Amino acid sequence: MTGADLAARITAAIPDAVVAVEESPTDPVVQVRPEVLHAVAAFARQDLGMETLRLITAIDRPPETIDVVWHCLSMPQHRTLTLKTRLPRENPVVATVSDLWDAANWFEREQFDLVGVHFVGHPNLKRLLMPEDWVGHPLRKDYQRPEEYHGIPTARDRVVPVREVAPPMHGPKAAEQDGWMLLNMGPHHPATHGVLNFLLQTDGEIVRKATPDVGYLHRGIEKIAEMNTYAGTMPYTDRVDYLGGMATNQAWAMACERLLGVEVPRRGEFLRVIAVELNRIASHLIGTGSLAMDLGAFTPFVHWLREREYINDLMERICGARLTYTYMRIGGVARDIDRETLDRTLQWLDHFEPMLGEFDRLIGSNEIFVNRLANIAVMPAEAAMSFSLVGPNLRGSGVRWDLRRDEPYSVYPELEFDVPVGRGFRGTVGDAYDRFMVRMLEMQESARILRQAIARIPDGEFRAKVPRVLKPPAREAYGRVEAPRGEAGFYVVSNGTERPERVRIRTGCFTAMPAIESLSPGLMVADIIALIGSLDVIAPEVDR
Amino acid sequence: MPDAPDRIEAPGAPVCAPGSAMPGTVIPTTVDQFLNWFREGSIWYLLFATACCGIELMQAGGPRTDMDRFGAVFRTSPRQSDLLIVAGTITYKMADRVRLIYAQMAEPRYVIAMGSCASCGGLFQRGYSVVPGVDSIVPVDLYLPGCPPRPEALNDAILKLQQLIRKEPWLRQVRGKA
Repeated sequence: MTGADLAARITAAIPDAVVAVEESPTDPVVQVRPEVLHAVAAFARQDLGMETLRLITAIDRPPETIDVVWHCLSMPQHRTLTLKTRLPRENPVVATVSDLWDAANWFEREQFDLVGVHFVGHPNLKRLLMPEDWVGHPLRKDYQRPEEYHGIPTARDRVVPVREVAPPMHGPKAAEQDGWMLLNMGPHHPATHGVLNFLLQTDGEIVRKATPDVGYLHRGIEKIAEMNTYAGTMPYTDRVDYLGGMATNQAWAMACERLLGVEVPRRGEFLRVIAVELNRIASHLIGTGSLAMDLGAFTPFVHWLREREYINDLMERICGARLTYTYMRIGGVARDIDRETLDRTLQWLDHFEPMLGEFDRLIGSNEIFVNRLANIAVMPAEAAMSFSLVGPNLRGSGVRWDLRRDEPYSVYPELEFDVPVGRGFRGTVGDAYDRFMVRMLEMQESARILRQAIARIPDGEFRAKVPRVLKPPAREAYGRVEAPRGEAGFYVVSNGTERPERVRIRTGCFTAMPAIESLSPGLMVADIIALIGSLDVIAPEVDR
Repeated sequence: MPDAPDRIEAPGAPVCAPGSAMPGTVIPTTVDQFLNWFREGSIWYLLFATACCGIELMQAGGPRTDMDRFGAVFRTSPRQSDLLIVAGTITYKMADRVRLIYAQMAEPRYVIAMGSCASCGGLFQRGYSVVPGVDSIVPVDLYLPGCPPRPEALNDAILKLQQLIRKEPWLRQVRGKA
């Protein structure tokens, strides 16, 4: 269905709503009046079947306006709808859609925090990523960084190394409230995978509510990308997801290639697939291994660390780095992979595939492990889509949605692979064990893809000829790939110069965090660990 | 820091006095050196992984690099740790928690700023939310460059810290001050 068709259906239901239509092969855009935004969104949700909200983006366009963009998706119909509206910059107010999509809650809080758009009717419109006493909205174009924050200078040349530590600024957060014990879990906690913070309201061992508090690793990559050239942002994309850097590299490269209209040579695409699938295995090794460790089984984790060292060696041969790869380039990859590396990859796969069975005997079928995960934190498919869960977390709930298959990109349509989904392997569909098992099965599929890609890799160029200075015309593009933790996407708006106007990063973990809040009531404290581990949330993806 | 008495050639490996009547039983040393020998061989570090460097910190504890060999094992509580390895970017929101964690550690305590972010803000210096170097919050003993540093580099930092500890006049000065 084209943008014009969608606009016609919206106009039929809500007259005078549509202002303009932009056609696009992937994401048709319908611009609507801000006053009717909620009505249009409700129509899209109920009548057009857009049950997933991919992203909300606010774009500051001085001197007059702020644009707000909603990316909606219908998985069963394979159809997208992008709503856009234009607000006055002095008073950017628009109705909330958090009553329609659960995922909108955090997206709106984030855009309020960073751009300063007020979403009327939002249940809890507070800062999400920045500290509560922060002044200003950093993603506004005229934002000035303060000289210091609570005595800490903001520029390196003004830092005087301290010899004595200052007393903490704030007291501990936890306090009693309505007679319930409040417990701070994080931001430094061995089982929260980086700096995530949860405020647990507990009744003995039973959790009444777990409220995630994020932003402890918010590094402002979206703002830094606006200061950088298109090629210069590539190293930052590694650090958006340090366990799946290849996939975020690819998402950024794809977004820029769409802006510029660059075609990647076939060998380049195969090299990308090989790198990304190796990286997917490496990431799932940490995901499943650290889940086991969080539940008290240290040995499997060490086994997987050993396997990961082999992948790190291969990655070093491929791109020279163990963790932050920066392997992709706009138009291809940085360098070719030689035959010996491919042979070593095949050798390692011969060693690794039997290890998967061994790991399953060691921990996957372990009775204690199964009991800790089965029937815990069940996420039904409907709720998973409303929370915009992606990747293994969505497929664990039984929804067969994989961008490699459903929005085909690169050379994935030529390769044969299955998309494993949760089937209630040891309990209910969508429980923590299903999410764990989907990751295990995906490693098998990645090994299959790797073997095929290595067997069929063609000769030729690995990178297209791209000018040294990139100046894409003023347009927008959304590059998204299936990363280890689900959809990794870059929504890029260009303005005809060397630097982008706005870069918006969509990651899988950002939408998984609010899901924890809704899944937590009634769980035991120990089950919260299993829940966080099974969702495989990592801090840089949440905070960026 | 005053120079330590340099009687022991290979510190950490006490030797027998030459011409001793009971070879292998008498060790000429000072109390400082003797205590430091124990301290340098049991550096317990806090598992404080905030960003990318945390993954390499994990690998450093893993089977290949295996920092256990040097007596460095990870603890999950600051109260049991001697060493704070700040592995990753620190934001303003996190800064206060770093102070709190450091304050919870018992003396003597050491800090390694692992990676560019912890050393100076690194790639994210231009970001509006990143502390430009953890040394603006807590005292840092060692800066470890890299983005991220390899596990071998972290291992080397531990060895460098051992050298630092070896030279400390612990009994006479450091402990008296504390």
